[in-house]
Amino acid sequence: MSDVGIQLIYWDRVLEAGFWILVTLFFYHLARRIQQALDGSPLANPVLLASAPIIGLLWGADIWVGDYQQGGQALIWLLGPATVGLAVPLYRNFSRVRAALIPMAISLVVGSAVAVLSAVLIGDAMGASVETIRSLAPKSVTTPIAMGIADAIGGYPSLAAAFVIVTGIIGAVFGAMIFNAFGIRDPRARGFAMGVAAHGIGTARAFQEDEVSGTFSGVAMALNGIVTALILPLLWLAFS
Amino acid sequence: MRSFFRLALAFALLAACDIAGRLLVWGLSLPVPGTVVGILILLAGLVAMRRVPAPLKETAEFLLAHLNFFYIPAGVGVMGYAVLLADDLWPIVVALFASTFLAMIAAGFAFQFVARLMHEKGGGS
Repeated sequence: MSDVGIQLIYWDRVLEAGFWILVTLFFYHLARRIQQALDGSPLANPVLLASAPIIGLLWGADIWVGDYQQGGQALIWLLGPATVGLAVPLYRNFSRVRAALIPMAISLVVGSAVAVLSAVLIGDAMGASVETIRSLAPKSVTTPIAMGIADAIGGYPSLAAAFVIVTGIIGAVFGAMIFNAFGIRDPRARGFAMGVAAHGIGTARAFQEDEVSGTFSGVAMALNGIVTALILPLLWLAFS
Repeated sequence: MRSFFRLALAFALLAACDIAGRLLVWGLSLPVPGTVVGILILLAGLVAMRRVPAPLKETAEFLLAHLNFFYIPAGVGVMGYAVLLADDLWPIVVALFASTFLAMIAAGFAFQFVARLMHEKGGGS
């Protein structure tokens, strides 16, 4: 079949992608086992526990991260449909969410402002470069939005994406500890604050705690993404 | 086999909502993520149906319980920026930790405070 002009499917790439998806699945399974052994502790974050050995594997075997992302891209694409699933708990808890519109609105404005301002001010006070500060600003919203914002205000989209992921892991790992220390016990408040500060990775953690927290976290993530995307670039232009 | 087919169909529905959301955002150049519009499309469908079909509930809950899995490639992707991070490492580390903690505390307090205020006035719950 060497005379076939156009190759429609690159089987070697499909196989490679499949291989890396299996590797990811293996380390995810292992991470979950570890988390279960630690009574579901948020310290044993599955994203952190699974990506660290994969990074080590790629480094150790001198494999380009782009090869891994052949499979990674497929999983990142699947994140979309998985996130759309949020509509189901949202529908089931609709009356609860509707009853909390005012606390959500206030919490959203306060949390969103603190997330952006504190990152920018701390970065600035500690002498980070302008590009770094601009990439830090949208760290609390989901990756695609953060990349768009960083681009709009003169940061590095890819650096912003890395900050977003680290922020999500920090929120997911330490969220429960922080909420307990500060007497934030209302599961709606815990979920919502998690979603505002730590987007999807925080939401993944919130769903591990309970459905109400997860639902409020998902709503917060969606709302914060929209609000930050609309307001941050405008504010930035106004003040710089 | 039959139940597998139903679950696959439920997943196809989720994917269709996501794609429809992305297309809508792209076509109308809306400043919101397509997936958020996808959530709203599915939510509207559920409100119209007034119930959640069992396979859809099962699929959505399974995916949400394993949402972490889909974030692993992004976690691996952070590696590429380790070099870039070296310059500003400390400001970045402090800013990410402190700012994330502050945002969680502020948002959590604000929510809880307002919810209690409304409850006392009898406006909430």
